Amino acid sequence: MSVEVAPVPLVELSGVSVTYDVPRQKSVVEALQSVDLAIAKGTFTSLIGPSGCGKSTLLRIVADLIAPTTGRVSIEGQTPASARRARQIGFVFQEPALLEWRSVLDNVALPLELQGMARAQRESEARQLIDLVGLSGFEAVWPSQLSGGMKQRASIARALSTSPHVMLMDEPFGALDQITRDRMNLELVRVFEQTGITVLFVTHSIREAVFLSDNVIVMSPRPGRIVRNIEVDLPRPRNLLVRDNPTFDELVGIGARELEQGYDA
Amino acid sequence: MAQRFGTLARMAGPPIVAAVVMVGLWEGVCHLFSIAPYIVPAPTRIWAAFVSKPGSLLFNGGVTFLEAISGFVIGSVLGALLGTAFAYSRLLARGLLPYIIAANTIPVVAIAPIIILWFGHGMQSKVAVTAFLSFFPLALNMMKGLQSYDRVVMDVFHVSAASEWQRFFKMRLPNALPYVFVGLKLNVTFSVIGAIVAEFVQADKGLGFVIMTTYRTLNMPRLWAAMLLSAVIGILFFALIAWIEKRTIPWHSSMREDR
Repeated sequence: MSVEVAPVPLVELSGVSVTYDVPRQKSVVEALQSVDLAIAKGTFTSLIGPSGCGKSTLLRIVADLIAPTTGRVSIEGQTPASARRARQIGFVFQEPALLEWRSVLDNVALPLELQGMARAQRESEARQLIDLVGLSGFEAVWPSQLSGGMKQRASIARALSTSPHVMLMDEPFGALDQITRDRMNLELVRVFEQTGITVLFVTHSIREAVFLSDNVIVMSPRPGRIVRNIEVDLPRPRNLLVRDNPTFDELVGIGARELEQGYDA
Repeated sequence: MAQRFGTLARMAGPPIVAAVVMVGLWEGVCHLFSIAPYIVPAPTRIWAAFVSKPGSLLFNGGVTFLEAISGFVIGSVLGALLGTAFAYSRLLARGLLPYIIAANTIPVVAIAPIIILWFGHGMQSKVAVTAFLSFFPLALNMMKGLQSYDRVVMDVFHVSAASEWQRFFKMRLPNALPYVFVGLKLNVTFSVIGAIVAEFVQADKGLGFVIMTTYRTLNMPRLWAAMLLSAVIGILFFALIAWIEKRTIPWHSSMREDR
């Protein structure tokens, strides 16, 4: 891995804070408190923390879905807005959010269609992505006919369609059962290792975070701050055997302790 | 093919049997109790009234159908446009929606004479009454349909840098279609009612005109024939819309056949 080269960060946040007005309670909620974060190109970074710690907020700021109250965000030197308009951001939400009137193929090709790509070309690219996420044979099927895990595969293929420079994933497997979730983790590791894309991944599960990531960022309860950056020095390509590696349990233990301390503070 | 015929027989069988039994009972009761034809004419008498001058009834039925479908199209299109405006402008919806709902509660029989006065004695005034009735269901359903999109899907479009037009045509409009068809199906019934009520007020052709004139002469079998023809028109019209719906939104959960 190119971790030692200390490359220029692909995504960089400096002093990012977010506060919300809550008019009904006449109070202000601080969701994020001066977050500094640098994500190297081609790495997999997980954000982990208790509910409401602002990890989803952080992801939505990078995707230009919300603006920070203070601070700067840059994606390869661009603002989130211009990176988004240049279609360099892929986003996988907790819900698959597929269009129920479109086939899997047309759902995956949607971002390319919005970009104005000709039908033949976007369909051939979408077919390759459908193959990559293991959905071959389901191109013509409607989303309502898919299982939860398959819907999320389609959603991941859609997010990859514009060949984004960074993929943001907001608890994409949170609604799946444990067996499906383990399988999806394996598939995601494979897709990540094959494409070399940069991923920022939000999760509640420290085991999932360690299994997938190069870096696990632990956040405190609200107002969200970064309390620790755990470097995961486990070999790639990863498979389920990684969990038998003593380092795996050690890192999970460190992460779990950090999370608990966050609660006590 | 044989399987398809079997499905058809299973679907159409019960209502056909029920119709045969009901018509048979009706015929029998009329004869058995010697019910006067002007109170309840027997089915055979109604049929005789129909076949004695079928051209005339079919012509008048055609006039009513033409008025109904023209008003249906005009009212639905205008309603859909206003519903779209409401969905995009909260201010407009807040200002006008109460009056739209109030106007919708005006009984059609009360407003029909006024509209006929405005639009004259021809078919155009009947079309206007029908359009008036068809306007509200589409305005309200279009607004609701365009507003009922999934927030996360909107986020997907935002991240994909979709234009406002793309958001409308590729997301909000297809999402609104099931609502649109609810409105259109309501309008099928309303438009036939609208056309006939308008003909009651003033007309020299159409099924409403036939019903009024046969009522004055107590030619009840012919009146019943006109009434049943109006029902047939409504059923065929409804079937047409349902057929279009099935081809337009086959993906929607209401279209699943395993229910």
